Parts: sequence; C-alpha cells; structure tokens
Amino acid sequence: MSQQSSPRRRLTRLMTVAAAAAAGLLVLSGCSPSGSGAVEGSFGFTEAEQVPDSEITVWVDASREPAVTAFQEAYPDIPVKLETYDGGAGGSGSFQSKITLMDQAGEGWPDVVFSTQQNDAIWASKQTANGEQGFAAPLDKGFFDQEFLDGFAPGSLDFATIDGTVYGLRNDLAQTVFYYNQTLLDQFGYEVPTTWEEYGELGDKLAAEHPGYILGSMGDSFMTYVYYGGSQSPVFQSPEPAVFHSDTSDENAQNISKIIDGMLANGTLVQDSFFSAEFAEKYADKLVGMPGPVWYTGAIFQGGLATPAGQIGVAPPLSWEGGEVAAGNVGGGQWYASSHSKNLEAVKTFLEFVTSADEFQVEASSGYPAYTSAAEKWLDKLAGDAYFVNDDFETVMSDAAGQIWDGWNVTSWSPETAWSKVVIPGIAAGETVESLLPAWQKELENEATVNGYTVK
Amino acid sequence: MNAGQSRYGYIFVSGYTLLLLAFGLLPTLYAIYLAFTRNGAFVGVDNFVRVFNDYRFLPAVAHVALYIVYWLISLIVFVVILAIIVHAIRVRWLGNTARFLFYIPGAIAGASSVLLWLFVLDPTVSPVSGLLRSMGYESLVNVVAVDNLPVVFTVIAFWAGAGGWIVIMYGALNNISSDIMEAARIDGAGPIQTAWHIQLPMLKKWISYMGIMSLAAGTQLFVEPKILAQATKNVVPEDYSLNQLAYLYAFRQNDFSGSAAISLVLLVVALGLSAVFIFRGRLFEHD
Amino acid sequence: MTDLAVRRRRVLTPGQWIGRALVTIVLLVFAAFFILPIIWLLLAPTKSNTQLLLESPFSFGSFDQLAGNWNELFAFGSGVFSTWIGNSAYYSFAALAITLLVSIPAGYALALIEFKGRRLLLVTTLIVMLIPNTALVLPIFLELSAARLIGNPLAVILPFSFFPFGVYLTYIYFSTAVSRDLLNAARIDGAGELRVFAQVAMPLATPVIALVGFFSFVSNWNNYFLPFLVVGGEKIPVQVGLANLLANVPAFNPTTVGSIVIQLPTLALATLLSVAPILLIFLFAQRFLVEGMTAGGTKE
Repeated sequence: MSQQSSPRRRLTRLMTVAAAAAAGLLVLSGCSPSGSGAVEGSFGFTEAEQVPDSEITVWVDASREPAVTAFQEAYPDIPVKLETYDGGAGGSGSFQSKITLMDQAGEGWPDVVFSTQQNDAIWASKQTANGEQGFAAPLDKGFFDQEFLDGFAPGSLDFATIDGTVYGLRNDLAQTVFYYNQTLLDQFGYEVPTTWEEYGELGDKLAAEHPGYILGSMGDSFMTYVYYGGSQSPVFQSPEPAVFHSDTSDENAQNISKIIDGMLANGTLVQDSFFSAEFAEKYADKLVGMPGPVWYTGAIFQGGLATPAGQIGVAPPLSWEGGEVAAGNVGGGQWYASSHSKNLEAVKTFLEFVTSADEFQVEASSGYPAYTSAAEKWLDKLAGDAYFVNDDFETVMSDAAGQIWDGWNVTSWSPETAWSKVVIPGIAAGETVESLLPAWQKELENEATVNGYTVK
Repeated sequence: MNAGQSRYGYIFVSGYTLLLLAFGLLPTLYAIYLAFTRNGAFVGVDNFVRVFNDYRFLPAVAHVALYIVYWLISLIVFVVILAIIVHAIRVRWLGNTARFLFYIPGAIAGASSVLLWLFVLDPTVSPVSGLLRSMGYESLVNVVAVDNLPVVFTVIAFWAGAGGWIVIMYGALNNISSDIMEAARIDGAGPIQTAWHIQLPMLKKWISYMGIMSLAAGTQLFVEPKILAQATKNVVPEDYSLNQLAYLYAFRQNDFSGSAAISLVLLVVALGLSAVFIFRGRLFEHD
Repeated sequence: MTDLAVRRRRVLTPGQWIGRALVTIVLLVFAAFFILPIIWLLLAPTKSNTQLLLESPFSFGSFDQLAGNWNELFAFGSGVFSTWIGNSAYYSFAALAITLLVSIPAGYALALIEFKGRRLLLVTTLIVMLIPNTALVLPIFLELSAARLIGNPLAVILPFSFFPFGVYLTYIYFSTAVSRDLLNAARIDGAGELRVFAQVAMPLATPVIALVGFFSFVSNWNNYFLPFLVVGGEKIPVQVGLANLLANVPAFNPTTVGSIVIQLPTLALATLLSVAPILLIFLFAQRFLVEGMTAGGTKE
C-alpha cells in the first residue's frame, strides 16, 4: 500500500477516462458527411452536391422490378442499382424504418423508392428527428414540369400531396371492379352480380350447387379496402387532419360483414392468400368471380393464375341495392425521389420513364397506369389482345376510376396492420368477422391515438 | 501494492475499461438522460407515464411474461430430466451422441433459427406437417395465432438453448462423488429416489442460475416476433414484445425518449437480476 | 466391461422394464426434436420448390437442383448474399481481434496484478456479463446516434468488441492455471511487467485465447439485433440480410409476383449458409463449448 489516492482523485480519474471515451466517439464521428457541399436548390429543397453520371440506387418491390429492367434497356448509359424490399406491403413500415436508419447514418439513402402504400408522404415530407430535411423531395416546385404532372389522372396525386406540395408520383390507379369468369358463369347458368346482396346470394347458390368453386379470398390484408372501402363502410376516415373516425356499427359495415361471414362459412370465400403457391394450384380454374382492384388483371389473372384470354370479364364495382356505385381503392403504389440524391437529373429521367413510358407502364405493368396517356394505351393493348370477354371493359374500368369512394382516407399509419392483427387470425380461428368488428375498431382507434390523431 | 505493478495493471485493463465505459456505462447514462428529458428539457417521469399508458405496453408485458413462464417451466423440467437420463446412460458413445444431438442446434441462433422454424411451423412445407395438421393447423397463420405464440417462442428458444444447459447440468452431475451415489444404491434407493434426494439438491444452484439467466434473456424477446411478423404480414403483431415496442418508438414514431424509457425499464430488470445473482447466488467467486 | 455384461444379464422386473422403455422413448422423442429440423435443413436446398411442397420432407432432391438453388441465391441482387457473408466475416473477425487484444491483458491483470479499483472492475464485469447482450442494444443505438456513428462499420465492430465474458474467462483461467509465484520468480530475475506478461503468461494462455475467440466469434456472427439497428443497405451482415431475403419470397410476401423472387429451397439454402461457419465450429469444438459453459462453476 504505497499510494493511497483520495476519493476525489479517484473520481477525477474516472471522469478523465469517461471523457476520453466520449472524445473518442466524437473524433470517430468527425468523418460523418452530413451537410457537406449542400446547396439550397431551385426545386424547393436543399440539394446534395451533384455528381454527374453517378449511379442511382432504386428500391422497388419485386413486382416493380420489370420497371427497372425496362429503364436499363432504354437508358443503358445511366447506371442503376436495383434493390428489392417488401414495398411496405401489409403496412410493414419497412420503408420508413429503413429511411430512419439512413437519416441516422446521414448517408446511404436510395435515390428512388417505390412503395405499395399510399401514406408514406405523410412522414417522408417531414423533417427528421434530428432536424434535417425529410426524405421525399418536393416534385412540383420546379423539379418536374407542370405539364408532366398534369399528365396524371385527375386526383391521382392527392395522396402524396401534403400541404399543397406533391411528394410522390402515382404508379397506378387501383379502383375496384368486379371480375367474373364468363366460361364458368355460362356453364352454371349464373348472372354477373351487380350488388353486394346479389354477390352474397350467388355465394349461397354456388356453394349449394357447385361446391369447391369460389368467389374470392380473405387471405390478404388489403381486403380491408376491397370489401370495406368498396362497400362504403365508414371504417377508416380522417375528415380533417389529425382526426380519426371509425364506425363499424354502421349499417354498411354490418351488412358487408354478414355477407363475408356467410361466404366464409359456405366456403365460397377462402383464406389462402392470392399470392400463395397453393392458391394458384387449388383455385386457378375454380374462381367464378370476385371484386378486386384493376391491377388484379396483370398480377393475378395473367400472372399467378395464368388464365387464358377470352374467359374473364370486367363489370362495374358492386353497389348496395338502390345505392350508388362506389369503388374501393386498393393501393396503387407511389414513386418517391430522394431529396439527398447526388444525381437528380438521372432521378428525374427515371421517374418520368417508369410512370409514363410505354416500355413499363403499357408493356410490363400489372395495373392501370395513373399517367393518362399510358392508361389509354394499356387499355388499348388489353383490347387488342382480346383478353377480356366484354368489349366495354375500358369504359367500366375508366368509369370506376372516377367512382372511388371519398369516405376512405389516408393516415400516417396503414389500415392493413389492424386487419392483419385482428381479423385475419380471428377468421383463421373460426370467428366471424361480425364478432370481430368491435375489436377491429378498437385497434384502429388505438393506432390513431398512438399516431397522434384525435378519435372522434 | 507495488506502484510499478499497479501502473501496469492500469495499462493492461485500459483498453477493456474504455470499451466498458463506452458501451456499458455511457449508453446507460445516455438512456437515463433521454428517458427523463424530452427535446432536451427535463420532464420527470412523463416519458414513462406515456409509454406505460400506450395501449400496446401492457399487452406486450403480458405476452413477454407468459412466454417467460412457459419457457422457464419447460426449461427447468426437461433440462433436468434429460440431464439425469443422459447421465445415467452407461454406454459411453450413446451418452456422448445424445449430448451432441442436444447441443448442436445451439449453433443455429438468431434470425437463422427463426427462419428454420418458419419452415417447420408452416404446414405446407413442414417436415412435421402431419403432426401440425393432426392438431388442426392448416396454415402458418393458424400455427402462429397470437395465443399460440408463447408456446411457439418457447419451442424455438428451447430448441436452440436447452442443449447448452443440459451439458452444464451433466457436468454438474459428474461432480457428485460416486461414493454418495453408491451409498444411496446400497441403501436401496431406486433411480427416481436418487434423482430426487441426491441429484436434484446438488443441481439446485445450477437450476437457479439457469432460471435467472433465462428470465433475463426472455424479457428481451425481439428477433423471433420481429421475423414472424414480417413473414406473416403482421398477423404476428409488430408490437408483440417490449423490445419491438421500443424499436417502433425509435424507428417509426421518432420518439427516442419513449424508446429510451422502455429500454431503461428492461435494462433495470436485467441489471437487478444479475446483481441479485452475483451478490446472493455465490456462484461466481470474485474474492 | 464385465460390470456392464453382468448388468445386461440381470433380469429386469416389469417395473424396471417399463421405466427403461419410458426413458428410451423420452430420449428418442427429444433427439428427434433437436435433430430433425437440422436434417431437414440439410436436405431442403437439394430440392425444387414443387419437390419441397409435395415430396417427403426427408428425401434428397438432386445435386443439379442444389446447384440451381445455389446459383439463384448468389445471383440475387447481383450477388448481394456474398456481400452479406463478407460483412459478417469482417465484423466478426475485426471484433474478435479487438476483443482478444483488450480482454486477455485485462483478465490477466485482474487475476494477477494488484491495483486499486480491481475489485470494482471485476464486480462490474460480472454484472454486465450476466446482462443479456440485447439489453444494451437500444441504449447503444441511441448513443451511437447522438455520436453520429450510425451506418459506420465501427458502430458494429466496437460494441461487438466489448465482451465482458471474455475478460471473465481469462480472469478465471489466469487465477487458476498460473501461479503468482511463477510470475514473481520472473520478476526477481529482473523481468519487467511487460516481459512477464509477454514471456511468462502469454505462452500459457493459448487455451483461453481459443476459448474467448470461440465465444466471441459465435456470439457476434449470430447477432441480429445490434447490426439491424445500426447499419443498413450494403453494410448489413448475413443475419439481417436473411430477413431481407424473406421479403422476396412469394410465400411470405404478397406483392412478390415479379420475376426476381427467391423460392423456398433457396431461402433454406441461405439459412444453412448463414450458420455454416458456426455449425462447423460447433462440430469440431465441442470441448471448448463445454469448458466455457461450465467455467463459472469450476472455481469452488
């Protein structure tokens, strides 16, 4: 015991070490690139220093991968790095979580992102937690010509418009229609249903006379838009900013739930996901008809089920007896440009291409293009292929686009998570949707509260 | 104490001490700071009140608690039984093989083990689909219904973690002197009496070690529900466990204070358990 | 052997017979529980998607199919899977090197050198060692975020390098396997502290270096939570990458109907490859594992 240090000296020593550790961290962080060379641009946001001809990174879900391939063929000189992710499907929030990580890192952002959800502009337009500019670049403050933006179908940019500024470009419109298999209807001697009531009755008849044939599936979380948005049920409303309203006791919500329950019970609605391997295997030739968004055309009938031309027809969306026709809106993804991009020129070229050029939107996209001139060609192409049995399918689809019910809104969280959490496992366990409605509404209201909305 | 030696003592521990401060002490202090402030201003326990009142908090506590109960019971019962059985095997290669089979799943941890179990639990591809179907499960969504999750997570955790504990218990059983075992046999005790009256008391210390370690680890549940949520499109909710909730606060709500409050609660639980064990358990001697 | 032979010949009473049968069944059931998933995992990558869905779970597909799945996996995202494996190796080995560099001297000093604060450091090490490593992940993330280190490889490597269990193992080792007299003898011969450590202690430390290395590597390679929070994009290790891969499997993701998809057998292959290094180490390092896990109890 040669040295006895006083408590104070011990403390000093400890603090010195702690300070050294902290200093070490700060030195290491000195190499963080935040803000270097940024300039206030003419597009309404602070641009990163531009590096001409630099590679752009694009995040898409696997379904949008053909868009990137088509772009690379058309513009071989612009280097593009493709990364696939889940596209935020099912309200997974992975787009936001990943960008939050990049915001923290101050680097690594993708240049372009595709999201299957409608609501990302709400967070992506906001400043980050440490006060830096939001991920999504404003698109109508000089970045794109107004002329180009005017080419989108009226109202189709509304979801991505925050406080009057456009932050995202709509990929496709997603109005619901009623698909039917003419061959099967003829064989069984049935008519195409026009109302939800007839749809339910058709279910009873089909189950009794031709068991094994089906009228849809409840296996995916976006059924909440198809059946509740499509039936004008006031389940997911935001009448004014930061206010949320949900009423599952409403007559429409109750009635559609009873119809769904009846069809789940008699087996005409199944619980396999449309995208599962088993669905195509079990039901490719058993699907008599179903309500669904126009992108089912490419994604399900021509895709997974590989139904040949000349069997499927398209009818207007179902309505309530004596009520007005209204369509649901099932996604229709959005493209976002990064405000941190080092090659905005390439980003602009890319976005114009994927939203409006024929090579993707007409030739390779599964859905109804949001860009009007592309939409016309897409419809013409389907007509040319004689894919649908009815000649008026173009009018049916374009009319439905104008009939989307405005009583279903977009909020900062996705309606799909509550459906996945409460309803899908509930019906898998044999409960009725009707009995799950209160729990579903409760979950939605809870989510609203957590996200800072007032429930009214 | 020799001054020269002592100086080298400091030099030798300096690197480690720096890391201990930087990734043990400093993050804890910073989490405390964040948990009691909001945007830099002191707010007392406001952040804690906010997360405790979050409608997701209590269910998450309940989920984690239920999982821990299932896990601890299965761990204690089966690990002890299997260790005693393996210890009783006289054929050497058989005993070695059994221990090997039990611990090898420990190599498959983290996301990999969850992915593997995703296959095992999905009746369409599962190697035990017959068993799942006979229990009435036709799809992954059926199997991972929220009420089944504590059992599902228990099975996954037991699969990957039990083997290590069996090996430890086996080692402890080997330390019981053969004289005692022989004496018991001469007194006419059967294998069950021997296990109950001699082996079990000897294992008590190890069982409590296992219990406390597993309890602390159980509160941290994250990767299993996180990946199942992704695989089932959120049918397994993304806010199932406390750590998931803390993650959502940080990455979805941009609320670092709330996130810090939750992780601080978890950290205090883990610290408490570990301290109790060190100061009361006497398993680790620290002169 | 004779003892065993005698035992075998002894006639079993019905009670004993039932007991033995029960024990055998319990053993078999648990052995199956532990090993069948692994056997399945070894076989699944040899099949096509249809074979996986329709054929017996424990059948072998073909080597061609295995090669096909292999190519599909490594072609995905222009070979991003190799990048992930490379990242895992980089993080794990870098952290391993730092861990050894700081833990071995620290454990040595704690065991064999008297200095003020030794006891405090030892107790702190024990407490932190017994905290599950996930408990500090979010606080570390928050700290690194304040230090603006997120996204930097150091954000993974430095926290990985902090491995109190390694210090504890070294401490136990040196306090039991190396006597102070030996060190004192060297000191009397005129060796300085550095030489005592380098020439007397280090040559004896090989077993504990291997042991600490083993545990550090295994726990870092398998870590998901920390890298998931602190690195993204190209920098993620394979554990985090696996979860990303899951998003491209049509069975688990509804929007995946495009051309780039990962089929289930390929996902199984990725799972297998992600643990292959650890599996190999486990196969060949049983002894370490047992030693390390019982280290706490050896000093009584």
